[in-house]
Amino acid sequence: MAAPEKTSTSAYQAAQPTTELASRSAAGRQLIGLLTHEDLDRARDRWRVARARWTGRSWKSLGGLRVLWLLMGPGVLVFLGENDAPSMLSYSADGARYGIGFFVPFVILTFVMGFIVQEMTVRLGAVTHRGHAELIFDRFGKFWGMFSTFDLMLGNFLTLVAEFIGIRAGLSFFGIRPGIAVGGALVLVLAVITTGRYWTWERITMGLAIFNGLFIPAALLAHPDWPAVGHALATWTPLPLGDRPQTALLILSTVGATVTPWMLFFQQSAVVDKGMQPRDISAGRLDTLLGTVLAAVFGIAAILATVPLFHHGINAADFEYAQFAQALVPWIGHIGAALFALGMFEAGIVAAIAISTSSAYAFGEVFGTAHSLNRPLREAWPFYVILVGSACAAALLVLVPHAPLEFIALTVNVIAVLAMPPALFFLLLLVNDRELMGEHANTFWQNFAGVAVTILLVCAGLGFGIATVYPRILGG
Amino acid sequence: MNAGRYKDSLKNADRELDADAAASARPDLKDPNVVLSLLEADQVVAAKQQTRFGRRSLSFGVRLAMWSLRVYVIVMFVIVVISVLRALHGGG
Repeated sequence: MAAPEKTSTSAYQAAQPTTELASRSAAGRQLIGLLTHEDLDRARDRWRVARARWTGRSWKSLGGLRVLWLLMGPGVLVFLGENDAPSMLSYSADGARYGIGFFVPFVILTFVMGFIVQEMTVRLGAVTHRGHAELIFDRFGKFWGMFSTFDLMLGNFLTLVAEFIGIRAGLSFFGIRPGIAVGGALVLVLAVITTGRYWTWERITMGLAIFNGLFIPAALLAHPDWPAVGHALATWTPLPLGDRPQTALLILSTVGATVTPWMLFFQQSAVVDKGMQPRDISAGRLDTLLGTVLAAVFGIAAILATVPLFHHGINAADFEYAQFAQALVPWIGHIGAALFALGMFEAGIVAAIAISTSSAYAFGEVFGTAHSLNRPLREAWPFYVILVGSACAAALLVLVPHAPLEFIALTVNVIAVLAMPPALFFLLLLVNDRELMGEHANTFWQNFAGVAVTILLVCAGLGFGIATVYPRILGG
Repeated sequence: MNAGRYKDSLKNADRELDADAAASARPDLKDPNVVLSLLEADQVVAAKQQTRFGRRSLSFGVRLAMWSLRVYVIVMFVIVVISVLRALHGGG
C-alpha cells in the first residue's frame, strides 16, 4: 500500500481512511469544538485498550488476554445472537427429525461459512469506521442502498417477530402468560439500552448471551451417543432422506440459522461503535472465532438434546418452540426440558436486542442521524426510537390474535438465506475496494472463500426452489 | 516517506500512545487533545459527518451481477411464499 499523504483539512473532503491519530492531523485539531459525547466515550474505551496493551506487554499472553477481553464483543454477540429462537428451532427440528447424522457436520460447515463472512465485516468496520449500510449508500448509490436496506429491514422485522414468538413459547413452558412474557422481554430490551454506553450494553448483552450454553446440560441429559456423533462428523451420514421439499427447507433453514444479512450490518456497526482500529483486527478475528466456536457448540447441543424424539418416533414435523421442551420431558426430565425452554427464551431475548440494534444502526447510517449506543437519548432519539419501536411492533404483532405467526416462523430463516447472496456480493465488492481498504483488502484466498460461500448459498437457494416447484424431479 | 517507513512510524506512534495511556490512572477527557490523541483522524464523529465516501464506478459485469442477484431474490421470495402456503394448507 502506498503511504497515505500527510493528513490535512482537504484529506477530509476525500474521506480517505487513515491510521493517523486525530491529534497529529491539522484537520483533527480543527474539530476540537465539535467533539461529541460519543467521541469521549469511544476515547475512554481506546484509552483502556492502549493501557492494557502497554501494561500487558511484559506479561506476554496474559496481557494479550486482557486486550482480547476489552476488544471482544461484536463477534461473540453476532454469533450468539444468531443462535436465536428460529435457529435453535431449526437445530431442534434437525435432531428430532433426522437424529445424529448429516446435520451435525453440516452445522459446523455453516459456521465456517459464517466466520469467513463475518471476519470481512471486522476489517471493513475497523478500517473505514463506517457501518455497512453507510458504505453501500456511499459507494453504490441510493438505488442499491435502498434495496439492501429494504432487504435488511424486512428480514429484521420478521426475525424480530420470530424472536418474540420464541420468547413467548419458551416462557409458556413455565406457565407464564404471553402478555407478561413479551412485556417482560420488552422491558429487558429497554433496560439494556438505557445505559447510554456501548461498553455497558455490550457486556450486559454478552452476559445474557452466555446462557445460550443452557443447551449443553440439556444435551448431556439426553445422553448422546458419542460414537454416533464421531461417525457423523467423519462420514456426514446418515443422510437426511424422505420428503425432499421439506428436507430442502430444513437444510436452507439451517444455513439461514448461521449466515444472514443482519449479521453483516450488525457486526460492522458494532465494530465501529466500539471504536476498533486497524491494529485491533487480529483481536476482532479472535473475537469472531470465539463466537463461531461457542455458537457451533451450542447449536450442536440443541440437535443432540432433541435426538431422543427421533429415536422414540415422535413426529416433530409440526412442533413449535415450547412443544420441543414439553415433548422432551419423558427423556431428559423436567429439569432438562426447563433448561431447553430457558435456552429458547434466552435465544429470543439476546437476538431481539441485537437485531433491533442492527435496524437502528442501519437507519442512522442511511439517514445520517446519530447512531451510537454511546449517545444519550436527547442526542440520538431517532436511533433509540427505531430500536425500541421495531422491538415494540414485533412484540405487539405476536400478541395479536390470528396474526400469521406460523408463516413468519417458517419463512424467517429461509428468507434470510435467500437475501444473503446480494448482501455478500456487496460485502465482497466493499472489502476488495482498495481505495477503502488499502492493505486490509481481501487476499486471493479470502476472495476464494467468500465467492465459494456465495455460490453455495445461491445453489442452496436454487435447490430449494427446484425441490419446491418440481418436487418429483428430486423424488419427493 | 516510503510505505515501510510509514508503517514503522505508525507502530512507534502506537507505542507512544500506549505508553501515554499507561502513564495516567484515568484519562482527562475534558481535555480535547487527550480525546483526539486516542482516536484516529477519521474516527471523530464530526469528521465523518462532514464527508462521505464517493461513488465508485461500476463496470457492466458488476451491474449485471447486481441485477441478476436482485432478480434471483425476487423469484426465490415468490417460491418461498408458494412453499409456505402449500405447507400451511397441508399440500406438502
